[in-house]
Formats: sequence, C-alpha cells, structure tokens
Amino acid sequence: MFLSLSLFLASLWCKSILAGIMPLDDGTVSLTPSGLLPDERENDPNIAFQSTVGAHIIRPEASPALGIANHLGNRIFESRHVRIWYFSLPGEDSSWLYLDKSSGQINCRWTDVQRMPDGTSTRKTVQLYIGPEGVSEIPDRKLGRFTSIIEDMSETHLLYDRDLRRFFRLDLRKRTITKGPQLLKDDLHKPADIGILAKNRTILDLYWQPPAMKKSQDDEGRVSYPPPPLIREGYSTYQPDRYVLVLDESGRIDLLDTETLEFAGTAGYLPAPQTLFHSKERVTPDDLLAYRVIPVALKEDHKYRGMIAAAVSREGTALTLAVFDEKGVLINSRQTMGKSSGDYRDVPSSSTFFFGAPWAPVMTIGKFALENLHPPILSLASYFTASTFEAGSGHRALFLLPNSFIGMNGRDARQSFLEKLLSAFLLMGPSIILALWLNWRVGKDAALVGLSRKARRWWMLGTIAFGLAAYITYRLSRPKVTLVTCANCGHPRRPDMDKCHRCASQWHVPDLTPPPWRVLDSAREN
Amino acid sequence: MLALIKREIQDHLVYFIAALASSAALIALLSTAAFHFERPGGDLFIGLTIPLIVILVIVFSAMGVTQMYLDRNRRISAFLSTLPVTRSRILTAKIITGVLAILIVLLPVTIAAVALRHLLLPSIPVFANLITGFVTTTFLMLFACYCLGLLTGWTASKITPTFGALGLNLILFSLIIVKGFGPEIRLLLVLVIAACLIRTWHKFTSTSL
Repeated sequence: MFLSLSLFLASLWCKSILAGIMPLDDGTVSLTPSGLLPDERENDPNIAFQSTVGAHIIRPEASPALGIANHLGNRIFESRHVRIWYFSLPGEDSSWLYLDKSSGQINCRWTDVQRMPDGTSTRKTVQLYIGPEGVSEIPDRKLGRFTSIIEDMSETHLLYDRDLRRFFRLDLRKRTITKGPQLLKDDLHKPADIGILAKNRTILDLYWQPPAMKKSQDDEGRVSYPPPPLIREGYSTYQPDRYVLVLDESGRIDLLDTETLEFAGTAGYLPAPQTLFHSKERVTPDDLLAYRVIPVALKEDHKYRGMIAAAVSREGTALTLAVFDEKGVLINSRQTMGKSSGDYRDVPSSSTFFFGAPWAPVMTIGKFALENLHPPILSLASYFTASTFEAGSGHRALFLLPNSFIGMNGRDARQSFLEKLLSAFLLMGPSIILALWLNWRVGKDAALVGLSRKARRWWMLGTIAFGLAAYITYRLSRPKVTLVTCANCGHPRRPDMDKCHRCASQWHVPDLTPPPWRVLDSAREN
Repeated sequence: MLALIKREIQDHLVYFIAALASSAALIALLSTAAFHFERPGGDLFIGLTIPLIVILVIVFSAMGVTQMYLDRNRRISAFLSTLPVTRSRILTAKIITGVLAILIVLLPVTIAAVALRHLLLPSIPVFANLITGFVTTTFLMLFACYCLGLLTGWTASKITPTFGALGLNLILFSLIIVKGFGPEIRLLLVLVIAACLIRTWHKFTSTSL
C-alpha cells in the first residue's frame, strides 16, 4: 500500500505538471455562430457579433475528483448527493428543504414576511411535510413515502422517484404536489438527473452568448454595442418555460414537459470526447469526468430552441462541445485541438496533452515508468476493468488504475480483443521484464537462504504477480541469519538447521577418541 | 494487566499530557470557528486544526516508537518475563495505552462537536455524517500511525525509528487527501493496522530477549 501510495503521489505530480504546461488554447473550444438561431437573425445587419457557444477545461488535473475534495463536495448540505437541498440559518428566519429518509417525506420550512398597510411587517414560519400523495403542515403517514428520488434544484422543484417511476412537481406556495403518469415497466427511460445537468462544475465551464446588437454609431463610424451576457445554467432570463432536460443513464438527454410531466421527445445526448485511444461513440454520465448541459431559449419568448452540451473525457485531456436543435438533431460539434510539435498540424488535445508541450514527453515517460512499477497483476486487472469505474474515482484510484495507459488501451473501441490484448502486453512490457528479473533475484536469494522449495515457489509466483511490492516484502521479511560454510559441499548453509539445505549433510562433530599412537618419554621408561 | 497499563502510562506520561493539551486546543479551535463562522476569517480556525492533526500523527507515532525502542534497549520485557507475564500481555498493555491516549484526544472533541451542532444548528440532519466520518477516520489514522511507530521502534538503530517512521507516517497521512474520509480509507487503514499489529506481535514474541 505504501508503494502504491508513493507511486500515486509521484504520478499525480507528473500529471499536474502536464496539466500546467498544457497550452490554454488546447483546452478551449468555441462555435460561432452557434447554429441555434435562424440564419436571418444571425446575419441581420444590426448584429455586431453572432451568437457564440464556448467551453473550456478549467482544471485538467481534476483536483476536485481527489478524495478529500470529492468527499466534502458530496457531504455539504447543498450538494445533490445528500438529503438536504437548501439550508440557511439567519437566526430566527432559518429555512430548509430536505428529505427525511426515515419518514420518506420532504421537510420544508421558511419564513413568510408580509407587509401590513400600516408599514409594519409580520413574520410567519411555514413548516410543510410533503409526500407523493400530498402536502400537510403536520407529519402524516397518509402523505406516502418517497424512496429513491432525484430532483431539480432550481425553482421548478421537479422530482423523480425511481421506485414509483413517476415525476412530481412541487409548488410550495400553493402547497400542492402534482403527480405525473407512471412510466411503464418496459419503458426504456432511466432518469439519472433533472434540470441542471452538470457534473464536476469546477472542472468545466460552458456558456453561450446571444447575438450582440449594435447600439449606436458615432460620427467616426465606430459602433458600440452592449456586451452580451455569458449565459450559464440557471440563468432564468434565458430559460425555456415549458421544458426541462432529463439526463438518462444511457447518456441520452430527454425533454420533460413541466405541465404534463411526460417526456416530450429527445433533446440530444452527451457528446463523446476523442481520447488518446479511440473511445466509444456514445458515453454515459459515469464515463465522463465532467459535463454541463444548457437548454437555450431567448428572453423575448422563452421558447425552447435547442441545447448545448460539453463533456470532458475521463482523463481530463479532451473536451467536446455539441449543439443540438429543438428536435434533438446534432447541428454542430467540435473537439479541443492542439498543434503537433513537428509539423504544427491540428491534432486532438488528448495527444498534445501528453506529447505537445515542451517537457511533456519527459513527464509522459515518467508517468509511464511509474505505472510500470505497479504490480503486473493489478495492471492487467486495470486493463479489464477500465470501463467499469466511474470517471472521477479513477483519479483517486491506488490499486486499479483506469486512467493509466494500459487502462486507456482497455477502453479502445477501435481495436479487436486480440489486438487490444497484444498492445496491452506491449504496454506492460517493462513491468513484465522487471517482474521476471526480480523473480530471478528472489529465487536465487531464497535458495541461498535455505527456504523450502514450497516457500520458494510461492515467493517466486508472488513476485511475478506483484512485482516490486512482493520483492520489497520479501527483502523485509526474509530470514536474517549469518550463513556458515558447509564442510561437505563448501556452500553457505544456515547454522539453525540440522542439515545443509544444499547437500543435506549433517553437522560434522569430531569424535573425542584418543589417537592410537603415544608420545613416550624414553628416559623415564628406562 | 492493569498494573502493566498503569506502568506504561507512568512511563509515557508526557504523551498523555500532550494528548490532553491537544484535545483542549482542538475544542477551543472548533468552538471559536463555530461561533465566528459567518464572520470574515472565521474559517481560519477550521484550517488551523489541520496542522494540529499532523502534529498529533507525529506525536502518536513517536509514542509507539518510544514504547518499543525503550523496551528493547532497556530490556524491560526481559525483566517482566521473569514475572508471570506473557509477552502477548505486555504488548497488549502497550496497545491499550496507545488507544487510551488517542481516545483522550478524540472523545472530548467529539462530544464538543456534537454539543456545538445541537446548540447552534436546528434539529435537522446537518453535518451528522460529517462528524462521524471525520472522527472515525481520524481515530483510525492516528491508531495506524501509532502501530507504524510500534513496528519501526523495535530496533537497536536510531535512524530507522526516527526517519523511517516519520516518512511512512507522512505518506500514510497523504491517504486522506487521496481518498477523503469515506469507507474506502477506513478499510485501507484497518488493513494497515492489522498488518502492523500482526508483524509487531510476531517480531516481539519471537525475538530472543
């Protein structure tokens, strides 16, 4: 474990340097015009700048995916992963909205401030308990029970209960809860998120800008225009009125009609970033380190016009931006690109991340060398399990490494199984050679020290499987005895064993018998 | 056994005093942070607990090293073995002493944290899981570092217990940054503790006195 932790920290250092020297442009992508507005609007002579969609990777080293940041992000009360959705504590006016798992009901409290005609204000605390069957001011079993819900944290207060398989719309002011129709048992929809669709927001930024109108023209012909706003998710002025986005577990994004609480068609899907090894065409939320999706509407009519989506690859090295129209058809998409070091042609950013910047190849080789110090058996397991892990967890993995080169190779969607396996063994080549060399050393030392044949065999097998870790363990735990020379075979033998472990000879203890000859004193005898 | 534990406490009283002082300091920092959280700089007091926990890691590791190093070099176990006491009981007494010292730090802090939560926050489940996670992981981390100290302290050399233990403890502490405070780190720490204790027990009971 100490070896894995040390290798992880060293690898993190290499990755941080690679992220730091990566050119900023390699992590940025934009589309102008966005394609969401009609051509006549984009090409209007009164337009100073056309609509733009842009995204960029803020932190390629994915520090928010590290354990402590991830743990705190998932535990603070306003996170989507905990029961508490809203909480504020200004003295007596404290308010909250959370799901009480023991009762299965949503508990809501806020303070109503009412202005009286005489200028004074009255404060009234409102406490509500909400279940799938209704809303009440006192806890009541008849309200029913929510079990496993996902919710929209914006003002619409939409919920989906996975066990009840229905959507609910909550209106706190009117104190009502509206049930949508239940999804059929064979329905393919499996909602994973509603409303604000985003993961690891601090890693990725996504925005769009509406067209900028010309405001005025001065005597010299210079045109001024008000700067268009950068619209991100939750910008209510540009939110569609009738629809919200629902992310499916398959990566598809659907439209939900907030009036009828039924699906109203497909809005698009999460785009697949192009990684160093060719990735699959369709990705799920777990396959991406970060994503953001924004529905697009204009403030004059709030009509749904389409959506934009950006996604960052597992390793944090590539970003894809995609624009979909109101029918869910892909209008345009773009990957992050960089310049190759030799001929300056455009190559995917996942390639320039590892090889593009000065010293990047050195850091990449360092990262590759560190990965090859891992136990070969764990490297092989990383190859087979690379696709099964959630993307963020790969950045804090100690033993199975889905973001290693061998893990990335395991996710290569282009090669056949045999081709992938062959390239996996090539990538593991240094690791295998190291394991074989260490295995030879362990075998030689174990024979010297006099371990039994069975013990030697287990240590050798362990060294082949676990490489450097097993070798270090062997060196720390091998018997520490001073060897003596065997009188029979002349090789070192252990003094604490009855027989020599090489020639099986016993200890030669000379007999205490007198010799047959005597030394006589002739003078005394005479 | 009680006599052995009492003897260990007397021999390492300085660590218990340090544990009490650390506990008081942590409670003071937490209380100040809780009452001043909404003011500018209020979260600084939370940040100050981190170096204090790092110091505690080093202190408890040093306690484990000291227990085993002094035992080996002053032949305390050899003397105790002339009495009707087994080596396993001697080692168990040392470990219980270490656990007591850690609990002296953590129990008052936990009580204070729970009391502050009930005092300052309404009766909704805010921060409940956070407190449990922090306290459990911190206990396991401090105990794992103590066990590492026990393992590296049983030697005649001075370099191994000093620098070896320090290096290993700092590497182990970085596990919190990598894994957070969740069940994964607790499982890893339990494995480290088990491996250290088994190896220590084997070395302690099989070494000739």
